[in-house]
Amino acid sequence: MSAAIHANELVRHFDEVEAVRGVSLDVEEGEIYGFLGPNGAGKSTTVRILTTLLEPTSGSGSVLGHDVVREPNTVRRLIGVALQEAGLDPKQSGRELLTLQARLYGLRGRVLTRQVDEVTELVGLSDAMDRRIQGYSGGMKRRLDLASALLHRPRVLFLDEPTTGLDPTSRTLIWDRVRSLRQQYGATIFLTTQYLEEADHLADRVGIINRGLIVREGTPAALKAEVGADVIDISVDDRESGAARSAILDMQSSGELPAGELRGTATGYTLFVPDGPSQIAVVVRGLDRAGVSTGPISVSRPTLDDVFLAATGGRMQASADGDASQDGQRVPSGQGAGR
Amino acid sequence: MTAATERFGEPGRPIERGEPRTLAAPTGYFSDVAAMAGRSIRGLLREPESFIPALIIPLFFFVVQLGALGKVAERAFGISNYAAFQLPVAVLFAAANTSGGNALVLDIANGYWDKLSLTPVHRSAMVIGTLIGEVFAVIGYSVLLIAFGWVIGVRFAGHEVFGALGLLSLTVLFGMGFAAISIAVALATGSVRATQTTFVVFFPLLFLTPGTLPRELMTGWFKTAVSINPVTYILEAARSFIFRFDGPLLAKGFGASLGFCAFTFALTVLAFKRRARMG
Repeated sequence: MSAAIHANELVRHFDEVEAVRGVSLDVEEGEIYGFLGPNGAGKSTTVRILTTLLEPTSGSGSVLGHDVVREPNTVRRLIGVALQEAGLDPKQSGRELLTLQARLYGLRGRVLTRQVDEVTELVGLSDAMDRRIQGYSGGMKRRLDLASALLHRPRVLFLDEPTTGLDPTSRTLIWDRVRSLRQQYGATIFLTTQYLEEADHLADRVGIINRGLIVREGTPAALKAEVGADVIDISVDDRESGAARSAILDMQSSGELPAGELRGTATGYTLFVPDGPSQIAVVVRGLDRAGVSTGPISVSRPTLDDVFLAATGGRMQASADGDASQDGQRVPSGQGAGR
Repeated sequence: MTAATERFGEPGRPIERGEPRTLAAPTGYFSDVAAMAGRSIRGLLREPESFIPALIIPLFFFVVQLGALGKVAERAFGISNYAAFQLPVAVLFAAANTSGGNALVLDIANGYWDKLSLTPVHRSAMVIGTLIGEVFAVIGYSVLLIAFGWVIGVRFAGHEVFGALGLLSLTVLFGMGFAAISIAVALATGSVRATQTTFVVFFPLLFLTPGTLPRELMTGWFKTAVSINPVTYILEAARSFIFRFDGPLLAKGFGASLGFCAFTFALTVLAFKRRARMG
C-alpha cells in the first residue's frame, strides 16, 4: 500500500526566494506526523503544496496515491485542512459556514445535518453555532475551522499550526481533539507546529524542517536519543569574554569532564554530556575555579529543541507561550569538543 | 457511480473498491453555483450598510438633476420628460456601484478564499456565485429606482411590465460586466486598496455618455468620446424602452452590453488563472 502522504524532492520558489528546497517525506496511514520548524522554515509552503493550493516548482507529491497536481479534486475529497490562519467568513453563522462547506463536499440531507452536529459537538461549539462568526474568539474560530475540516470525514487531515496564538485551555482542547480524531476515525494527521511540546506530545514521528529542508526525521524518542547525552544549560554573565568556553574546553581536555558538544546560546552555553546530573557539580566547580560568574545552570534530558540545536546550530526556543526564533549561535567548529 | 469507477474526471489512479471512503461526493456545477450564490446574497442582506449608499447616491443625483435642469433641459433640448430621460442614467449608475470585487478581495485577504479552494468546489462557481450576488443587488437597485420613477410619472413605451423587464435585463448585463472589472482586479491583485480604486473606471464610462443631453446635440471631442463609449449605446437602448421602442437602438445596446461583458469576463478569466498560479 502506498504512503498516505508522499513528497518527493518538493521545491518551491517565490521569485528569488527558495521557500522549500527539496522536501521528501512519507507518512503512513493512521500516523500523526509532526512537521516541526521555526517561522519561515517552509512548513506552510509544504502544506500548501500537499493540499493542492500551490503547485511545486519541481518535485511531486501525492495523497493516498493521488497526485496533488494532476488529481487535485480527488485529493481535495480525501483531505481535510485547517490552515494556520483560520479563514472564515465573519458574516455567516457557524452553522451556515459548516452547511456551505458540507454542500461543497457533496453532503446532503440527513447526512449533512448529522455531520454538522457531530463535528460541532466534537470541537465543543454546539452552543455557538447560530451566532455570527465575527463574534467568535480566536480559539472558537480555530475550533470552527477544525470542525469544517472534519465534515466529510477526511482520511488525511492537515493541521497547519493549529494552536499558534491560542490560550492554554484552547490549546489543550485542540490537542485532545487531535488525539481523538485518530482514535475515532483512524485518520492520518499531518501536523505542522513551531511548538516543541506539541510535536513531542502528539506526533508518532517528527520531521524537523529548517530553511526549506528536512534536517532530521524520526520518532521523538529516537531523535532525542540521537543527541546521545544529557543537556547542561549554563548561563554566564560575561559570555563575550569566552572565559567560560575556555574553562569548559580545558575541563574536557584534562578529562575532568567527558567529551561532549558545546554550543553557544543567547545567554551562555549548552553542553551535551552523558550522565549530566553527576557532571553538573564538576562544571560549577570548574567555572568557579576559572573565576567565571554564572547565572542559572540546569541539567535536563534532551528535548526536541536540543535535537533542533544539534541539527541546525540554532535554537527554536519555541514554547506555546511565545514565538519561535532561531537565536542560538554555533560555537565555531574546532572550538567545541567532539561528540 | 460506484467507488470502483469513481475518478472525478481526472487522470490518475481511481479510488479502489473497498478502500475506506470519505463522505465527500462529486457535486454538480449548478449545485456549487447555487451554494456560492446563496452565500453571496446572504452576505449582502447581512450588510445593508454596504449596498444602501449604492442606491442613495444615484437617487440623489437623479433628484438633483431633475431639480436643477429638468425644466430647462425640457425646453432647451426638446426632451418631453426629463425624469424619463434621466431614469436610465440613475439605474445604470446604481448598477455600476456594485461591490462584488470588494467582497471577493476580502475573502482573499482573510483566508476564506483558500478555505473554499481546499474544497472540491468547481473553481469558476466561486466567481460566478459572487457575480450572481451582484446581479441580485443590481435587480434590487433597479426595481426600487424604476418604482420611484413610476411614482413620479415615468412610464414605459408600450407594455409597462415588458418595458421594465427590458430595462432590467439590459441593466443586469451591464451590471455584470461592471462587477467583473472589480472581480478581475480582486483576483489579480488580492489587494483591497487596488480593488477599491477600480471605481475610477466608473467616471469615463458613466460620464462620457449622453447622460444629460441627447448625443445629437453634442459637438467636438466630447461627442467623439461619447460615440466610442459602449455605455452610450447601452444608455440609449435603455431610454428606448421608455420613449419609443427602437429595434436597431436596442440591438446596439444589447450588443454593446454583451461585448462589454465578454471583455470584462475575459479579464476575469485571466485574473482567475493568475490567482490559481499564485496559490
